[in-house]
Amino acid sequence: MDLRLAIFKPMLKLAMERSGHGKVLGFEITKIGRGEVEMLFPYKEEVVGNPVTGVVHGGVIVSLLDTCCGCAAITMLKGPMVTPTMDLRLDYMHPAAPHQAIYVSAKVYRDTSNVIFCRGSAWQDDPENPIAHCVATFMKVETPSVSFSNVVRRRFNRLLRGDKAYEREADK
Amino acid sequence: MTISEQALKVDLLRAKQESNPQLILDLIPYSSFIGAQAKMDTDQVLYWLDRRPSNIGNPSLPAIHGGVIGGFLELSAAIEILYTLDVNLVPKVVDFSLDYLRPGRYKTTYANCTVLRQGKKLVNVTATAWQDDPQTPIANARCHFLIS
Repeated sequence: MDLRLAIFKPMLKLAMERSGHGKVLGFEITKIGRGEVEMLFPYKEEVVGNPVTGVVHGGVIVSLLDTCCGCAAITMLKGPMVTPTMDLRLDYMHPAAPHQAIYVSAKVYRDTSNVIFCRGSAWQDDPENPIAHCVATFMKVETPSVSFSNVVRRRFNRLLRGDKAYEREADK
Repeated sequence: MTISEQALKVDLLRAKQESNPQLILDLIPYSSFIGAQAKMDTDQVLYWLDRRPSNIGNPSLPAIHGGVIGGFLELSAAIEILYTLDVNLVPKVVDFSLDYLRPGRYKTTYANCTVLRQGKKLVNVTATAWQDDPQTPIANARCHFLIS
């Protein structure tokens, strides 16, 4: 068992599923491996993009694939780094069927010293017949500021500054 | 909850007559989910996304979720087609390419769209997002939509 991955798993799940946009979308990370992540998104009426057919908006699929590829990129890191997305390219093969869950998987296919290359796909019934496919690249930025103590200190400062409304909402 | 094609047509016409692109956004549940809004700004449509906690991707910075920026730009591009072109169907997105240029800080994000080419079947739209200054964009998107 990869020890780093054992620590990453609960951290990633917590960061992606329990806070911010991941929480309101309500997706679930179903598998985390070295350079491989899978997710599940149950259908939600709030995110419909086509009011005539009830199909979810493409933006949801952008969010899902961006998160999934981003998580896969994070699992490759060996030190205190962040991986901002450089670019994301999506091809929509066919519209998603309404009232059905969407499955997403992402895989890192190349990890270089500065850039991580990742591809992902989203499907409903058959992984061989995806609704969308994407490639994403992530920059590796070394930053001591993502260490645990710094994150705690920043949160503490924000509390002192009195930005309580955000804090309350973000932690809910 | 869905609406008929006829109802969509009526609402599109009304939005164009009243010069109020927000009426089209109101038809799409995803726009209120992320909090996207639109209005006429001199000669083009200005789209904006107010800051809200449910759009945060990285709580420690905090920064807006990259997927929300992507979704916002894709939504803006589709509205631009419905509002500025003579199209009565929700455009189907074929591909979407997004370059993240700067981090999306936790503040109001604006966007402008330009239709670069309109064919019989295909439309190419580019959308740019910025926060403080239109000259320093945070993301740029290009997308193709099928309109028939």
